[in-house]
Amino acid sequence: MIFDVAARSFAGKQVLIPVEELLGDCTGSRMPEVDPTHLNFDSAVRAIDSCPTSALRFETHNNSRHFVLDYGDCTGCGKCIEASGGALRVATRLTQCGIGRAALVRRWNLDTGEELTQGTEAPERAAQQIRKLLGRALNIRQVDAGSCNGCEAEITALTNPYYDLERFSIHFVASPKHADMLLVTGPVTRNMEEALRRTYEAMPSPRLVVAVGACGCSGGIFAGSYAVTGAVDQVIPVNGYIPGCPPTPAMLLTGILHVLGREHARS
Amino acid sequence: MSTAISRSDRASGLADAHALLRAGHTRLVSIFGRIDDDGFPWVHYLIDVDGHEYRHFCQQVQGAIPSATDITPAAAWYERELHDLYGIPIHGHPNLQPLVFHENWPHNLHPRLDTPVRGEYRFLKVQGKGVCEVPVGPVHAGIIEPGHFRFSVVGDTVLHLELRHFFTHKGIEARFEGIPVSSGAMLAESVSGDNCFAHAVAYSQAVENAFGLSVPPRGRALRLIGLELERMLAHIADVGALCGDVAFAVPAAYTARLKELLLRASARFIGTRYWRGLSRPGGMVRDLSDENLRELGIRLAGTAEDFAKLAQMILHTPSVLNRFESTGILKKEVARALGVVGPAARASGLKLDVRHDHPYGRYRTLALDVPHLNSGDVLARARIRTDEVAVSARLIADAIREMPSGAFSAAVPWQSTAEGFSAVESPRGELLYYLRIRDGRIQRCHIKSPSFQNWPALPMAMPGNIIADFPLINKSFNLSYSGCDR
Repeated sequence: MIFDVAARSFAGKQVLIPVEELLGDCTGSRMPEVDPTHLNFDSAVRAIDSCPTSALRFETHNNSRHFVLDYGDCTGCGKCIEASGGALRVATRLTQCGIGRAALVRRWNLDTGEELTQGTEAPERAAQQIRKLLGRALNIRQVDAGSCNGCEAEITALTNPYYDLERFSIHFVASPKHADMLLVTGPVTRNMEEALRRTYEAMPSPRLVVAVGACGCSGGIFAGSYAVTGAVDQVIPVNGYIPGCPPTPAMLLTGILHVLGREHARS
Repeated sequence: MSTAISRSDRASGLADAHALLRAGHTRLVSIFGRIDDDGFPWVHYLIDVDGHEYRHFCQQVQGAIPSATDITPAAAWYERELHDLYGIPIHGHPNLQPLVFHENWPHNLHPRLDTPVRGEYRFLKVQGKGVCEVPVGPVHAGIIEPGHFRFSVVGDTVLHLELRHFFTHKGIEARFEGIPVSSGAMLAESVSGDNCFAHAVAYSQAVENAFGLSVPPRGRALRLIGLELERMLAHIADVGALCGDVAFAVPAAYTARLKELLLRASARFIGTRYWRGLSRPGGMVRDLSDENLRELGIRLAGTAEDFAKLAQMILHTPSVLNRFESTGILKKEVARALGVVGPAARASGLKLDVRHDHPYGRYRTLALDVPHLNSGDVLARARIRTDEVAVSARLIADAIREMPSGAFSAAVPWQSTAEGFSAVESPRGELLYYLRIRDGRIQRCHIKSPSFQNWPALPMAMPGNIIADFPLINKSFNLSYSGCDR
């Protein structure tokens, strides 16, 4: 029987997705993106009114009105896409993964329709140190600090034959003492706060922390609940943020490689 | 009958509920609390009678209430939660320790009470020659949710297992309070992320039942496809994980591949990997084209066929049988006493399935066969899952072939006031939403999660097994931590 199973497996066709197709892909995540040609004041108002989180909002700077889309707060519910009449659409590419919290926030000038540019950030010192010490190898410890298990399902998928995280020399390890990176999901609950802090403290330096999902990035739809402390960065220092509810395996991979400064990596 | 919920508002609601539970042929579905407009606490009991009718009892309470644990042990965790969240003292409860709030919870913080009662938590101390305690969690070795397990062992043999959960308690029920009915489905999807569609449908149906709405046939058929696909995903992943736990790596990888194939097909043809953002009160958020459904159906049928052959091989491999057979037995009497639901109940000889017992949506028009087994071990739970994948695949194929045309959603009177229930057979078992709605906003939402019901059964399947089999036994139940903790 064992041989039948093995033979069956080897007879199947290769399903591994090339890295070029994975990086930046967000198909199936339901994340929105702005179509600047359809963005105007009316469509922006409709989109903002429909948003059940605070992912969409207005800001005024120097008498010009800005339309703000914060991916860290977005759950991809799709209400803005329904309401905005074309100003927002479903994204298939999203490179805003594994970057600083501020960089998850994108802004458009509503009077000119132009996006306001942000500076690109260099990989952080910890990431550079890890690369210098370990080359391409990276050990990840995953901690669920209160998630709904949606992010866990997608993180687990990273190890399946389609994504095969091991081809990037990245492993999930059982102990924070073996880990270079902590991948944290969930709004940090009051009951998990202490456990998360202790897990972080058990890691050797240099170490990286990546907050995963809308809840990890901003507290998501649970921000403000009596039982929730808040986003991951309210408890431990965070180096990179991966948005999504949940982020797809491709977004997770993009984010992890981005934090390491390996976003141009080949498998 | 799906919505046959008879409600008793009599002042003796509590005594009536206890009497009904004592009478037999009944199963405790849920106990929960509520604070009324005048600030008085109420206790609600939900009971399943003869496996085909839900009954609802409620009563305003002052001071202590008698425990139902001597009638049915299934009441134990519900009453502890009632005590924690509403401060209602429970007379005669054998173990009224804190369930929801842990030691490091801020002392004066409570969702409803000014002066919360806080007890100290003590694990049962098993004493004797050679007895050791093994604490595990909340942070586990794998990519899984947090929870604490305290084993008392002699050598490798487990004498006692005690659970300490609620690490992922997010106050979700309180989070529902005050939000518009139209926003609730999104929150329901984040109660248990891998059963998100079942939660969204259960929530939507509760609103529909409250307002007496009927979902158009196309909406019902689309929901069935989502619900059964979610069941397939869960069961395929579970069987794979069971293989992983007995170091049978090739089928573990193969099932992971089958699951991903289904997720990618959903992403491509439906636009979402886990069917999030699709169900809402009244029906579906958007229509799915017949063309896309056919394409999805082709991939589903192929996957189900592949999985059936693979499962056949797995369950005939001697090294697998050696680990699965007679491991982690949950006896029928224990399962019944604890009100166990879902695949775990069906593997222990209890023929419980909401789709069959309290049919809803499209299931009302279907003749559904409920597979069940009697041995109650890991093997039985694995077999139930493999059998159910085949049933789900057939239901989806039928629904796609006979897809009704027309509307996919009904209009909802968003500003109304009403009360409603709905139960759904999620991949983990009976999932129930109770809603009170006033002027289009949610006043109270109670979620009866199958995991909350089933977790207390896991320690009953452990004694006598070796500690190394715990991951396997735990996985064979595959309960949600977040769904339980809410």
